[in-house]
Amino acid sequence: MELSAYAQGGWRLLGDPRRFPRRPYAALLRAAFRSLLDHPHAGLGKADSFVLDDPDLKDIDPTVLKHCHAAAATCILEAGKHKADIAAISTCLEDCKLDKERIEQFCTEYQKNKDALEILLGSIGRSPLHITDVSWRLEYQIKSNQLHKTYQPSYLVTLNVENSDSGSHPDVSFSCTMEQLQDLVGKLKDAAKSLERATQM
Amino acid sequence: CAFFTGKLNIGVDTVQHGVEGLTYLLTESSKLMISEIDFQDSIHVLGFSDELNQLLLQLYLDNRREIRSILSELVPKLPSYHSLEWRLDVQLASRSLRQQIKPVVTLKLHLNQNEDQTAQVLQTDPSTLLHLIQQLEQALGEMKTNHCRRIVRNMK
Repeated sequence: MELSAYAQGGWRLLGDPRRFPRRPYAALLRAAFRSLLDHPHAGLGKADSFVLDDPDLKDIDPTVLKHCHAAAATCILEAGKHKADIAAISTCLEDCKLDKERIEQFCTEYQKNKDALEILLGSIGRSPLHITDVSWRLEYQIKSNQLHKTYQPSYLVTLNVENSDSGSHPDVSFSCTMEQLQDLVGKLKDAAKSLERATQM
Repeated sequence: CAFFTGKLNIGVDTVQHGVEGLTYLLTESSKLMISEIDFQDSIHVLGFSDELNQLLLQLYLDNRREIRSILSELVPKLPSYHSLEWRLDVQLASRSLRQQIKPVVTLKLHLNQNEDQTAQVLQTDPSTLLHLIQQLEQALGEMKTNHCRRIVRNMK
């Protein structure tokens, strides 16, 4: 796991007790995790206060604060991306001249947030429209203006889909006869059976 | 029309009217799916010979299925199901996260809309797949319930 020169610079500042006493250090770590994990899609409007508005951080120079926050966030994301273990993170932070206690603080905070981080990172990326749910309607057709006495059942199936980018997307709807729906269900069951066999391997 | 005019020795207009009339007769009868008796009663007023009436009836019975199938294309419709292809994948990594083991079900849904065939690639996860199967099996089961059977029986 490697950090850029800029991030390493930020961590060196974070490791310096004169620049960053104990309380601000802890506060910055908290802020860094929160800024990444709390409602990432909420947008700036929703947050009541900016994450770095912690009272413990008010004495730190804003440029330094920004640099260090970026460094911390970068480290968190890199660790999450590579599923780094404690040893790897420790080595990385040691290179930035952080003392044992501060490294431990970071690792503890990281362990607490690891799962949420993994979920967040796993959800980023392009993929085809994702099906989230299905609704259906059964109707019995009686007549139309073009054709009377049709008398046949018909299904209307709507697949609720989500876009990985924007979150919502017009649903995919289609009609089908009973036979066609049986064909569809049959094929889905084949897929499910294959999936089951694959997991047993 | 010109072809028949020559063959039968009658005016173009007459032939055209004849064709139109025949078309209307067959289309309306097929649309309403009228019985043989009703058909015979309807054309009786035209005062044709018995032989011609029999011919017309036979023409109706032979062609009504196809005519109805053509008429059904004119009904307002949504895209209809054609077929489904599926594929199982395991996502191993992405730019934002390495070392993943994420099972993914990829589907290609083929639909027909007004003679065009569209194919849409969709994706889902294993638990949603099982949920889809469960929901759609319930849908299929509905036709077998007493309620639906009663309606189908009584609407003929």
